[in-house]
Amino acid sequence: MRRWHQIHRIFLSRPERLLPTSALGITLLAFIALPSYSDAELTSFDTYNALQVFARLAPLVLGLGLTMLAGEFDLSVVGTYALGGMLAVQYGGTDWKLGIAAALGAGVVIGLTQGTIIARLGVPSMPVTLATYIALLGLTNALSGGLSKSYANPDVTLWLDKPVSEVFSPRSLMTIAAFVVIGSILGFSRWGREVRAIGSDRRASRVSGVQSDRVLIGLFVTSAVLAATSGALLNYSLGAANPDPGVQPLILAAAGALLGGVSLSGGHGSVAGLLAGALTVAFLAQIVTAAQLPTYTAQLFYAGLLALIVVVDAPGLQRAWTRGTIRITSRKVLT
Amino acid sequence: MQPRLTPGNVPPAGPELVRLEGLRRTYGDTVAVRGADLVLRRGEVHALCGHNGAGKSTVVRMLSGQETPDAGTITIAGEQVRLRNRRSAQAAGVALVDQELSVVPALTVAENLVLGDQAAGWLYRRRQVRSRARKMLDELGLDHIDPYQQLSTLGLGERQLVEIARAFGQHAQVVILDEPTATLSDVESERVYDAVRRVAAAGSAVLFVSHRLGEVLELCDRVTVMRDGAVVADVASADLTVNALIRHMLGEAPTTLDKQPAADGEIALRLIDVAVPHRFESLSLDARAGTVYAFAGQVGSGAADVLRAVAGLEPSLRGRVSLGGRRVSSGSPASAARAGIAFASGDRKSEGLFLSRSVGVNLLATRIPDLATGGLVRRGRWRRTQQQVAAECGIDAPLATRVGDLSGGNQQKVFVGRALGRSDVKVLILDEPTRGVDVGGRANIHQLVRRAAEDGLVVLFASTELDELLDLADVVVTMHKGRVVAQHRGEVSDDTLLYEMTHGTSAMVGGRQ
Repeated sequence: MRRWHQIHRIFLSRPERLLPTSALGITLLAFIALPSYSDAELTSFDTYNALQVFARLAPLVLGLGLTMLAGEFDLSVVGTYALGGMLAVQYGGTDWKLGIAAALGAGVVIGLTQGTIIARLGVPSMPVTLATYIALLGLTNALSGGLSKSYANPDVTLWLDKPVSEVFSPRSLMTIAAFVVIGSILGFSRWGREVRAIGSDRRASRVSGVQSDRVLIGLFVTSAVLAATSGALLNYSLGAANPDPGVQPLILAAAGALLGGVSLSGGHGSVAGLLAGALTVAFLAQIVTAAQLPTYTAQLFYAGLLALIVVVDAPGLQRAWTRGTIRITSRKVLT
Repeated sequence: MQPRLTPGNVPPAGPELVRLEGLRRTYGDTVAVRGADLVLRRGEVHALCGHNGAGKSTVVRMLSGQETPDAGTITIAGEQVRLRNRRSAQAAGVALVDQELSVVPALTVAENLVLGDQAAGWLYRRRQVRSRARKMLDELGLDHIDPYQQLSTLGLGERQLVEIARAFGQHAQVVILDEPTATLSDVESERVYDAVRRVAAAGSAVLFVSHRLGEVLELCDRVTVMRDGAVVADVASADLTVNALIRHMLGEAPTTLDKQPAADGEIALRLIDVAVPHRFESLSLDARAGTVYAFAGQVGSGAADVLRAVAGLEPSLRGRVSLGGRRVSSGSPASAARAGIAFASGDRKSEGLFLSRSVGVNLLATRIPDLATGGLVRRGRWRRTQQQVAAECGIDAPLATRVGDLSGGNQQKVFVGRALGRSDVKVLILDEPTRGVDVGGRANIHQLVRRAAEDGLVVLFASTELDELLDLADVVVTMHKGRVVAQHRGEVSDDTLLYEMTHGTSAMVGGRQ
């Protein structure tokens, strides 16, 4: 009984823990059972592919999720991702480090600018980051002349996607490392609590002594640096830079963050949850590819999933559920 | 007027620790504080009193680093300091329990206890934090609270106690307590007083802001009184009586409520075997129109939960609520409001006021359908009703003022006023109706509530203050750990109520119905 109470307290009563674990568990089961409901055969290459999708999306999930944890939204991640990738290809042709440095520099400047406007001037993050997203796409197009640019350093391209232990690649391992580093920093330092605190109640956090402005600026810089670096690594890996990645990466990043248990109203969620959310989206994408389902199926599936998450999170639905349950049980007692 | 500091009335306290000189703060055209002076000594519990809007909270905000003064100086331990934010105030040794509850629901109790504590370092050591949190909680008698418990699972009073434990646990040289006991019962308040005395005895200075004047005189060594932004008196509490203190605060003699016996009206509201699992057990009540019913109990007694359940805020409510013979759909605040139940929550900040909107909009927020024709609000009728409601409730702030800019007590008047004088309301429910309200405002609100009952409404309220229960209620229902202990009509002594609220038995009988 005591153990059940403990499980309930630390797991079942905490949707930010329950949701990512259940979503990842169900997705992995569906992935393992793939041959039983499709003609696909499951090989280590499928896992490798899923982790490559993970490497592409997970930094965006992490960046967006961290800002959501603090009660904000960084919609500019895809713009920063495109610009970082373009700068890396443009300046990293002869030396890949120069390209990475250019992407990182852009990320820091974008994050600092956005964070300062949002934290110090109190402007809502949604319009600021949306405007930045549009401006960055324009800037990326201007840099490339509206065309894709190729990256002529095959050594880097081959190394980044080289299989490691059959299922990993240096890129996916670097992405996992980013989660471990950021997760450890937030898990073992006071900053993790401060991020959740300002997402839950910013005024109370300030009164408690949390320097919420600095924390917010730090989060926006982290988000932009993750997006820019991820764009750089992706373009090195593809051997080309696309000036307009479209909105799908943003949609998948938002789905990953929500599946990772981050609350829309802020304050709830964790880096471990975001890792689970990103893995869920990546393995779902691989299931759709391996089972050769039409593209629209995946889109409808993601839309349904997002709707489900939002509905489950809705307080009105929870109230209605409780009321309904009590009415039914009361009727049973009366009869 | 300058503070009355005479050598004869200074109590034996330690050396001077804090000196505020000529503090001034304006907001637009409003002067909130005009040249306030205050001296705090080591080992002293110093009260800061005044009516709502007198400038106490602004002084507290300046000393705690939440506002910077336009003019004047703050000296702590002989050094003039510039407190730009809470962090710099903490570094100067100032801990704060804010007027508004300032703990974070998304964190655990332990995480809240070390939140923002610069001395705790940047590394979060879980076991160390747990043992420190355990000690902080135990010192305030909160041994039933698990440090790993989510704060959101605690009631309002327990959250307040966690915030107080945090301030005491910082071992600051100056501790500011702004309305720390407003949400607490008498028993819990006593625990806080003990802790305050311990902190002062250890050599810190405590600045205590409260509208509970009895506790001020009992607990504090000196009292500084503010009126209209200025300090008007600085007196040893031994030289004061409650009435003298009220005269300093208001500049006139206090008024008392003339309570008429309740009319024996029809039964309007019936609660039949209502219960909310884990909150309160089965309870029945036939409430008559024109009568004021009080639910009295300590924090966690279930008294406030009964009110929330009747107001439709507890989806897991079992049993039946009927009003005027008609069943009210349970667990739906909208159905309760449609049936004629108006509710003013004990948490005006998150469950009541629209803080960024004006006083006028807040007062009329629940009357919009009455002021509109064909979906269009009639401006003339809107303005007239605003002025009429504000006058009835004794609100003297300009109607265009943002409610968030008002003092806590004035916010409470607006909140309560919103439920009054409406033709569609048959039951008025108030949870802690005078929380954070000064003595003048409290009398105003009590008169408004009595008038509502005289107009034929059923009034239910919950309070943890014995004086309020005795002054305002016709019938008092005492509760303990979710169970009704007794129901009293007519005269009942405060000893009886306190005994029942704390022991859960009605061994001391007085005026039982």
